[in-house]
Amino acid sequence: MRFRIFPILFLLLIVSGYNTNFDSSKYEIIYNGEKNKKQEQPVQNNPNYTIAIVPKVTGIPYFNAVEEGAMEAGNDLDVEVFYSGSLIADWEQQEAIINGYIEQGVDLIAVSANDPEKLGQVLTKAKQQGIRVITWDSDTNEQYREMFINMVDPEVLGRHIMDTLSSRVNEQGSYAIITGASDAANLNEWIEWMKLHQKENYPSMKLVEIVESNDDPKQAYKAAKELLKKYSDLKGIIGSSSVGPPAASQAVRDVNKAGEMTIVGLSTPNLMREYIKNGSAQVVTLWSPKKLGYLTVSVAKEILDGQEIQDNQYISNIGNIRVKEDTVIMGQPIDFTKENIDQYDF
Amino acid sequence: MISRIKEAVHLKHFRLKTKLIITYILLTVIPMAILGYITYYQNTKAIEEEVGEYVPRLLNQANKNIENEINELGNLPNLIYNSSDVMAILRTNPYDERSSLLEDQFTIESFLSRTYLGSNNDNILGAFLLSKNRSFISTRVSYEGFDFSDHTFPYGEAHDLGGDTKVLLPSQVNLSFEGNPPYMLLVKDIVDLDNRKNLGTLFLAVKLTFIEEILEDLDEEEKATMWLMDSQGQIIYHQDHTKIGSYFEEVHHYPLHNGSFRTNDEQDRTLISINQSEKQEWILVHSIPINYLTERTDVVKTAAMIIFVILVIITTFISISVAWSVTKPINILGKIMKDVESGNLDVKIPIHSKDEVGVLATSFQSMISRIRELIKKNYHIELRQKDAELYALQSQINPHFMYNTLETIGAAIEDGESELVVDMVAILGRMLRYSLSNKDRIVPISKEILHIEDYLTIQKFRFEERISFHIDQNKYEEDYLTPKFILQPIIENSIKYGMQKRKSLHIEIDVIHETDHSILFVIRDNGPGINAEKLKELNQLLDKNPIIKRDSGFGITNVHARIVMMYGSEYGITIESKIDEGTVVTIKIPQMIKTQEKMVIDHDRDKNNHRR
Repeated sequence: MRFRIFPILFLLLIVSGYNTNFDSSKYEIIYNGEKNKKQEQPVQNNPNYTIAIVPKVTGIPYFNAVEEGAMEAGNDLDVEVFYSGSLIADWEQQEAIINGYIEQGVDLIAVSANDPEKLGQVLTKAKQQGIRVITWDSDTNEQYREMFINMVDPEVLGRHIMDTLSSRVNEQGSYAIITGASDAANLNEWIEWMKLHQKENYPSMKLVEIVESNDDPKQAYKAAKELLKKYSDLKGIIGSSSVGPPAASQAVRDVNKAGEMTIVGLSTPNLMREYIKNGSAQVVTLWSPKKLGYLTVSVAKEILDGQEIQDNQYISNIGNIRVKEDTVIMGQPIDFTKENIDQYDF
Repeated sequence: MISRIKEAVHLKHFRLKTKLIITYILLTVIPMAILGYITYYQNTKAIEEEVGEYVPRLLNQANKNIENEINELGNLPNLIYNSSDVMAILRTNPYDERSSLLEDQFTIESFLSRTYLGSNNDNILGAFLLSKNRSFISTRVSYEGFDFSDHTFPYGEAHDLGGDTKVLLPSQVNLSFEGNPPYMLLVKDIVDLDNRKNLGTLFLAVKLTFIEEILEDLDEEEKATMWLMDSQGQIIYHQDHTKIGSYFEEVHHYPLHNGSFRTNDEQDRTLISINQSEKQEWILVHSIPINYLTERTDVVKTAAMIIFVILVIITTFISISVAWSVTKPINILGKIMKDVESGNLDVKIPIHSKDEVGVLATSFQSMISRIRELIKKNYHIELRQKDAELYALQSQINPHFMYNTLETIGAAIEDGESELVVDMVAILGRMLRYSLSNKDRIVPISKEILHIEDYLTIQKFRFEERISFHIDQNKYEEDYLTPKFILQPIIENSIKYGMQKRKSLHIEIDVIHETDHSILFVIRDNGPGINAEKLKELNQLLDKNPIIKRDSGFGITNVHARIVMMYGSEYGITIESKIDEGTVVTIKIPQMIKTQEKMVIDHDRDKNNHRR
């Protein structure tokens, strides 16, 4: 009888030493870290963003190149990009185009403004409709937009262009500037820096006149001709908008002063290739407008995604960008000379 | 479980000792076992949970580090953009002259060597730049494969990678380096950012030592297995280098990609912690057998088991001794009871404890002594009864009495009184029959009275005028009962003493029914009486325990003792006497009624009356 105790004891010993596990599933979760992760990552990549890019003007190579870049980015980033502008650089026409986009209900409007103040009304209206507004190339007053995408640092550009001129005229003599529209904010800022830089470093140089071209090649050419006629001792011309340098080069050539006159400024390689190669212009400075278009769309998408643009951020297919307050700076300007102008196709 | 229930069922057949032992052991062993088990289980679980929560955080950090490293490495191809020379060469179209091609090749390869191999980042094994059917290659060690002449190579020139750095694993490309170091290939399109044109593709072969270092930091004890794989399960880095590039299919069955879980495989229980990086979605796995985690607890567990076994042994001994101490007196008592059962009443119980068993033993002891007493008493009653009967018989067939009687008869025959002779012989015969009918100890009063009447009649024949008697009885005496031979010894006494002193003796016998259901026989004589001293002595004798005084030769005490023994001390004989005046002897017996065959004691009479 007493031996019956032992099976019970044995059973108890087994039970006490044996870690029973009745779970039939193969894995038993001990710690789940996924919930936190999911919450941290809001759902983004909301597709079908529509981004409207409004240039100062269409039909000129510079803005055509911007369009190319913007479309490429739209393709790469899977967003819909609209690009339309007026044939002349006029804020009223821009306003009409922007109104069209507001009605269309796009997600973001990026404007290269022809007037920093006058577009304010329509941009405020867009903002009220929930449309994000940024500017690129040419800024408005800062209360009308969230962010400005600048190609280069205005100070760096203005000073650099002044340098390209002064180093070729031995730092003396008079020069003139052909600008675009007198109310284009970016052009004016650059010119201010050029003037400051010249005052600080090249006191023997003298700015004789600033003329407007309204980004019209014909008007620019006419202005250049007049300048050459008016100032016989003129050493150099700075074209601060892309139509300036080619018009000036053509004018210099036409009066057979190629080589005597130094033509610098901002223009595209395609416009200037011929003049640079034949020596009627020495150097032009610009950035890649394609890159600018690409960057504008990239930044627009980042903004729509709710991401903050960081200083030194790497933008795919662009590189690192700089951010100063609410201004994005794309990079350094490129000088196009006889040696390298063939590498660029815009 | 079923067997245990069966055990429990059988339990009731167990001996008390066994039951006690089992109960004690169960009461101590089961709680200890349960407590120990719960403690161990909770402890193990706590460790698992702690590690399971801690490791994913480490993994997350490690994964972030890896991702940062990859990001940094991913920025390396951008260094190409810094060199305008290289960019200019890459922008150039195919050449007319071989010399310029070779010159450019030198420029670019020395740039690659300078930038990627010459720097302090010795993780890069080699750089391969493919551009417009040209290949610029610079490696740290010699390599095999990666033949650009055929077109099987996965990433051709115009392939659009969308600007991001892609990662290729050795299994995807036919490339191996000297010494077979584990590596991965960073692939990046070189885009002419200004012209927005694809210039070529840069491949950077990067050694995986940085992953190894990060993982080594994680696992200092080197007991865990760790590997890094992409979201498809292809192993990017594994501590066992041969597994790099193979697919780990099980990842698709894993319940989560961030956190910890345990495999329930019995032989090989492992704690798997896992983390997936956000950008590349690479999965870092840390797998450690649970044995290692619970190593320390297992020592505690073993110690606890030993202590447990020792405690079990101790409690078993304690329970056995306790059970023994409880059951031993019971066993002794049982043995003694068996002894008593077999007839030995002279037992002594050696149990003096105050507990229940002690009380039981004491009760049993007192019961035994009571039984002993009763047996003794019964024995004495029986003995006295026999004495009384013998005495009565002796009186009956007293040769002296017989002689006297026969002499009287003889004298009567001589006198020719034949009628008297006939009467006497008839009476004597009746008396002898009454005496000899030994069967009945209890007889109707009438018969006892008749007997004494016969006796007195015979005596009267003998002594003639010297003796006279009167018997007063009512007609119901037939129905009431009395013990046999209670009157004769009294009468004999009266005659014996009366004849000595006086010439004429008168005896009166009364039968009185008292209201308290008792019957009194009152025998009065006018004999010499008993002096006060003797009477006192006699009454004292009667008051004493009749059993002890069994040897008393007096017939009176014999009768008294019989009555007391039969009916209790409230019944019996009382004697009143005055010297020279006479003696009154009163016999008190309970009223008993003759019913059919039975004789019923008067206490039950009422009940019987009701029945009637």
